[in-house]
Amino acid sequence: MGPVELLHMSVFSQSFSPCGRFLAAGNNYGEIAVFSLSAALSPDATAANQKPVLTFTAHEGPVFSLLSTDVHLFSAGNGEISAWSWTELSKKNVKPLWTKRPNYKSSLEIPEINAMVINPRDNSLVVGGGDNNIHILDLEHGVFKAVLQGHSDYIHCVSVRDREAEILSGGEDGAVRMWDSRSSQCVHCIEVHKYESCARPHIGKWISCLTTDSDWMLCGGGPSLSLWHLRSLSPTSVFPLSGCQRQAAFYQDMILAVGEGAFVSHCLLGGEVKAQIPCTPQSLNTLQLNTNSTEHRVLTVGGSSDHIDVFTNLSYKAFSLSF
Amino acid sequence: MGAVTDDEVIRKRLLIDGDGAGDDRKINVLLKSFTKWCNSPATPEEGFTQYQRMLGTLAQCEFSMGKTLMVYDMNLREMENYEKIYTNIEQNITSAHEKIAECKKEIQRAKRIRKNRQEYDALAKVIQQHPDRHETLKQLEALDKELQQLSHIKENVDAKLELRKKQFHVLLSTIQELQQTLENDEKSDNDDNSQESPAENGE
Repeated sequence: MGPVELLHMSVFSQSFSPCGRFLAAGNNYGEIAVFSLSAALSPDATAANQKPVLTFTAHEGPVFSLLSTDVHLFSAGNGEISAWSWTELSKKNVKPLWTKRPNYKSSLEIPEINAMVINPRDNSLVVGGGDNNIHILDLEHGVFKAVLQGHSDYIHCVSVRDREAEILSGGEDGAVRMWDSRSSQCVHCIEVHKYESCARPHIGKWISCLTTDSDWMLCGGGPSLSLWHLRSLSPTSVFPLSGCQRQAAFYQDMILAVGEGAFVSHCLLGGEVKAQIPCTPQSLNTLQLNTNSTEHRVLTVGGSSDHIDVFTNLSYKAFSLSF
Repeated sequence: MGAVTDDEVIRKRLLIDGDGAGDDRKINVLLKSFTKWCNSPATPEEGFTQYQRMLGTLAQCEFSMGKTLMVYDMNLREMENYEKIYTNIEQNITSAHEKIAECKKEIQRAKRIRKNRQEYDALAKVIQQHPDRHETLKQLEALDKELQQLSHIKENVDAKLELRKKQFHVLLSTIQELQQTLENDEKSDNDDNSQESPAENGE
């Protein structure tokens, strides 16, 4: 990988292994790199430990989404989903277990897959992408069992609302749709850009960031990042962050958000921005918290750089992993 | 406190004692002077002074031995003391670890509570934006009353309208009948007149 390629690299997705000791990151060249966190976090780590232990080309297009389950790593790129086994990856065996493609109506161009999430209730993979539809893949039988249609433009992000068995999706058309996962019907549709408190018409109306913890929902993108109460479908707080947010997460009593801007924003539920921690990449695409391991509880962020920043303490950047 | 090797002990002893200097030398000298005194053909006063000197040296040796014994005792007690302090500190360390774990749990709880409070606040903000329930109920009641009154008035007006319509109807139908009767009368008058005139013309 020459220096020019490294300069133009963007990290689009990350996922931690089920044991919590490895981090897989996907970039715009279609490669997935596996980093060893235990080596990088150990007290006698060297610069070599901040390089990946394994790098391989997974897809022909950028890897926009990575997802880990107890055994598998799912990667989405070039319109197809590949499954890898973590045990095989730790043995440096880079053959995928299977590769599937959802049934796209048009065969002319291959729509990209932007987001994937696991619905634990019925062990299915919810996939949203460029063909404006959400495809649901049953992981036990390996077939696509449902298609949720309703969006009028491509889908940026999906999320699952555990308690009520709903799937939420946000798209370029500015709508956040809530689907009932059992009946595959659209239950609600919120057009965020129509609410004056969050709308930013000078930027746009797309929703690029969506996350939920069953009672509350964070969504943002063109409109400002806002916290919504799902029972009443009303926005409760709007966060004064200037750029477009691309990923957000609930963490303890805070909200972490990344997007345009070389920092991680820490916000409180009331709507104030508590802190903005600077990072290496100029603009961030992905944020992941390692909840699978107690001794490697780190936050990692990646964006338009070949460096992935690792935070051991949320208040400052500890070090960077690089491709 | 590692184990002291034999080399260390020998080195220390050599350093302190040198080439037989110190207590060891004192004892050797005492023995030599004792044998010399036993076999000396000297005068009783000299013998006495030598005897006194030997007693002095003996006392010195005993004194230094007593001192060493006390130092040994003291070292033993110091060791015990240090052992006690060591175990004490270890216990403190474990209890501090436990306290840290407790405090971490507390902080997790406190963060959860804080998150809940913030959620309540956020919801409260939204709720505040909507008008008070009592006021809205009162407004609804007032509107209801107004509605009732208005419907009452409408009923009254409707009834009046009906009545007037009926009255007008009665009036109009009476006029109609009168008109009819008048026409009939006129016609019958004309008929009578026309009947009479031909009858007159006929005569």
